[in-house]
Amino acid sequence: MNFTITRQNLHNGLAAVSASIPSKTTLPVLSNILFEAKEDAVWMSGTDLDVAVRVKVPADVKELGRLTAPGKKLQEITRELPEQPVEVATRGEQIELKCGRSNFKLNGLPADEFPSLAEVDFSEGWTVTGKDVNGLIHHTTFAVSTEESRPILNGVLWELREGSMRMVATNGHRLARMGVPAESGGAPSADFIVPPGALQHVQRLFKDDDTIEVARSGNHLGFRADSTEVYTRLIEGTYPNYDQVIPRDNDKVATIDKKALESAVRRMAVVASDQTHRIRLKFEPGRVHLNVLTPDLGEGHDELEIGYEGEELEIGFNANYLLEVLRYMPTDEVDVAFKAPERAVTIEPSGDNDIDYLCLVMPLRLLD
Amino acid sequence: MARRIQVLPDVVANQIAAGEVVERPASVVKELVENALDARASRVEVAIERGGKRRIRVSDDGVGMGREDALLCMDRHATSKIAAAGDLQGIRTFGFRGEALPSIAAVSRLTLDTRDAEEEVGTRVLVDGGQINSVEDLPRRRGTTVEVRNLFYNAPARAKFLKSVSAETRVISEAMTGLALANPQVTFMLTSDDRSLLDLPAVDDAAARVGQVWGADQSSTLILASHSENGFDLKGLVQRPDAAKPGVRRSYLFVNGRPFRAPQLVKAAERGYRTTIPEGVRPWMFFYLQVPKGHVDVNVHPAKAEVRFKEWPLIEMLVEDAVRSALEGEESSATFDTQLAAPPLVVREGSTGPVAPSPDTQMALFMAGAEVPHEAEDPNGAAAAPELEPGATRARLWQVLHTYILAETRDGILIVDQHSAHERVLFQRLMDSFERGGEVGQRLLFPLTIRLTQTEVEAVVDLEGLLERAGFEVEPFGGDTVIVHAVPNPHRYFDAERAFREMIEELTHGSELVRSAKNQHERIAMTFACKGAIKAGQKLSGAEMQELFDELFATDLPHHDVHGRPTIVRLSKGELARKFGRT
Ligand SMILES: Nc1ncnc2c1ncn2[C@@H]1O[C@H](COP(=O)(O)OP(=O)(O)OP(=O)(O)O)[C@@H](O)[C@H]1O
Ligand SMILES: [Mg+2]
Repeated sequence: MNFTITRQNLHNGLAAVSASIPSKTTLPVLSNILFEAKEDAVWMSGTDLDVAVRVKVPADVKELGRLTAPGKKLQEITRELPEQPVEVATRGEQIELKCGRSNFKLNGLPADEFPSLAEVDFSEGWTVTGKDVNGLIHHTTFAVSTEESRPILNGVLWELREGSMRMVATNGHRLARMGVPAESGGAPSADFIVPPGALQHVQRLFKDDDTIEVARSGNHLGFRADSTEVYTRLIEGTYPNYDQVIPRDNDKVATIDKKALESAVRRMAVVASDQTHRIRLKFEPGRVHLNVLTPDLGEGHDELEIGYEGEELEIGFNANYLLEVLRYMPTDEVDVAFKAPERAVTIEPSGDNDIDYLCLVMPLRLLD
Repeated sequence: MARRIQVLPDVVANQIAAGEVVERPASVVKELVENALDARASRVEVAIERGGKRRIRVSDDGVGMGREDALLCMDRHATSKIAAAGDLQGIRTFGFRGEALPSIAAVSRLTLDTRDAEEEVGTRVLVDGGQINSVEDLPRRRGTTVEVRNLFYNAPARAKFLKSVSAETRVISEAMTGLALANPQVTFMLTSDDRSLLDLPAVDDAAARVGQVWGADQSSTLILASHSENGFDLKGLVQRPDAAKPGVRRSYLFVNGRPFRAPQLVKAAERGYRTTIPEGVRPWMFFYLQVPKGHVDVNVHPAKAEVRFKEWPLIEMLVEDAVRSALEGEESSATFDTQLAAPPLVVREGSTGPVAPSPDTQMALFMAGAEVPHEAEDPNGAAAAPELEPGATRARLWQVLHTYILAETRDGILIVDQHSAHERVLFQRLMDSFERGGEVGQRLLFPLTIRLTQTEVEAVVDLEGLLERAGFEVEPFGGDTVIVHAVPNPHRYFDAERAFREMIEELTHGSELVRSAKNQHERIAMTFACKGAIKAGQKLSGAEMQELFDELFATDLPHHDVHGRPTIVRLSKGELARKFGRT
């Protein structure tokens, strides 16, 4: 293997890939990056076995070949190199970097030891825009569960349908669901449960104007735009029927200024219990009262003017859950809909728009 | 009619009294050693032969007696220690009845050698079965030696009840140990058939005495437990929970310097240990009580083995609180240190004899000016968090093996077991919240449908109210199924379904933990803590570790989990220095 590459291109490629390298691993080859010199470009790959990232960087290839070399070290060296072409070459099992008068040789490992990436046939897949996918990821991933007894809930449900797609995440206490219209291009409907880590790589590596091909092979999912590929293991199992638990009869709706509510909740949260983070919202016509009372700590009270005509109702919330949900709401005003103190509360962007976004927060029980 | 009632001759009366006072050789040793201590001896030597059955000799370097007193002391009710009934109230001496010597003399052949500071020459009195046989001059140093031979030679019925030589020897040694613990500043020697059983040179404090008797290994497991309340004062040494073992327990109680038995105080101490030691473990304890005049009656038991307090509940509280607050401190946590110094506990400055008693020393069980170091109490009542490295606003925390959290403190290293620590946090939190009505439950989007056994379902139904107050909203669904609509949410890795199942199983079928609980509330809180706490193997972020650390030190007993295991193990810089050969 022998190629010449600009310092900037080498740096970009390494930066894209090394984020997928595990920081600690018992398998030494996983700390390495796989270089594959092809006709007109060099491919770099990194993986932690769950997710793999592969990028193509332009280079002047003189000799084809493959080799793995330590990712973090290469990245650190490249960061310090002068802005000059870098010549990269194999020297036995070592990789050699020459740039101006700098010269490095690092011990590598044979390319055969590097795990082979999932073979995904992209001709049988879906095509989505970077903007759509990134939007869905951004608005839903925060809600996945961190508790490991139900692995399904550790993933984001991605539903691809004729004409639309959706992502859903929940930990059973709150839920986020977003949908966008999408051209399926004739591909069949499908449901994937995707680890949030993989989606973060997708969000990081694909730009809004990328056209992303998505395809499945066995229990792997691949994402590809022209110079970037992401592969991930899928979480197996059936996602719980979330649709059934989203209330359709929340007949009391309060329209609230998002920023005002956010900062009031944040103030209340200061005095809320460290464990339950419980605050109370009491809705009455034209107004919501926020209350917090934490034994051994103290209490707080606040109120906001809101658009609300329904009857008086008090609901307990985990302030953190409310804040998370509000943070991702894309409009200045939000519609908070509810029915009874123990029932699911939904929060949606308010006003005339076609944003298909819904968050749901389960209340905390009020004990009196 | 002939007169039938007659006054018994003294000899007979003394023999009868002896039945109460002198039960076995150990009673003789106890009475004679007490007399020596009352005479303000600084050294008491006891020699016994054949378990004291053949011979007991007690020598002291106390004030001694003049000739007149040496004869008088053989009479019943002859005492120098009290003059009027009222004197008994604030009694500081062991003796007060004037019965011991005549009782012993009545059932043995007794030789009394003594001399006081005033007389040129000492006195030897020979008594046989209570009859004074001779009185002689005897050159000797100041002090007293009493030798008792052939105990019960004239009371064969009593002699028959004596146990084996080794059994009697053991009881004697035990009795002397108690007195030695009460008087660490006095030298005690016990030899049995020329074998030395106790060799206890005077030391400064009680812990040092414990160390002399049972070894430094044992005394270094003790921590100070002190508490005072309206004139009642308790100083004690109790065992660190991690060092406490099942089996033989050493529990010694002293009131105003006097050993006594009181199972209810041992129980009170055990209450203080509750949730910090497993069931069946018996921590050692040494309590030195000081109560105001008139609050303890020492004259309720023929051998003075028991006392009666005017306010038992107060004394029990004192003991329980002292133990509790000792366990709140860092000293009570487990440690890697091998050469721990026993905590100094000065209990009594010699004994306060009957001669020219100074009121100060009489009232001061503790030596004036003796600093008793003990955890500075936080005004908020919360246990003090360990002192961090100077300059560090937060302890630097490392997670090791995804199980332990390491922190650097001013004095070395703390290792926290994340699961145990979180157990303590959850236990206290739920107990506190029971008091205020209960824990809030997080409603579930997908209620849990849980199948249980019939008995488990019954337990759930029985406990429904309490479970609800713990945050679990459970609905029996008929048959073997329950539906859980709301659950507590103690941390983000909490597996509610598993915790619930395991709790119900443990509550239904019982466990050591469940049995150690005092009531249903504790039972629920303990099982919840145990099943709900962050597990070993859970990777934690820096912020999560910090939060756990802060929460742990906000609990009352941060150093102990609810199973009686340590939450924290300390490694001091001293021990590190020793390990690396820096000292
Ligand atoms: N070792 C001793 N040194 C000095 N005086 C002693 C000694 N032993 C006894 N006495 C004197 O003899 C008296 C009688 O002792 P005895 O033990 O019979 O009665 P007590 O100690 O006064 O009361 P009790 O019967 O409660 O022990 C004591 O009050 C004390 O004055
Ligand atoms: Mg006496």
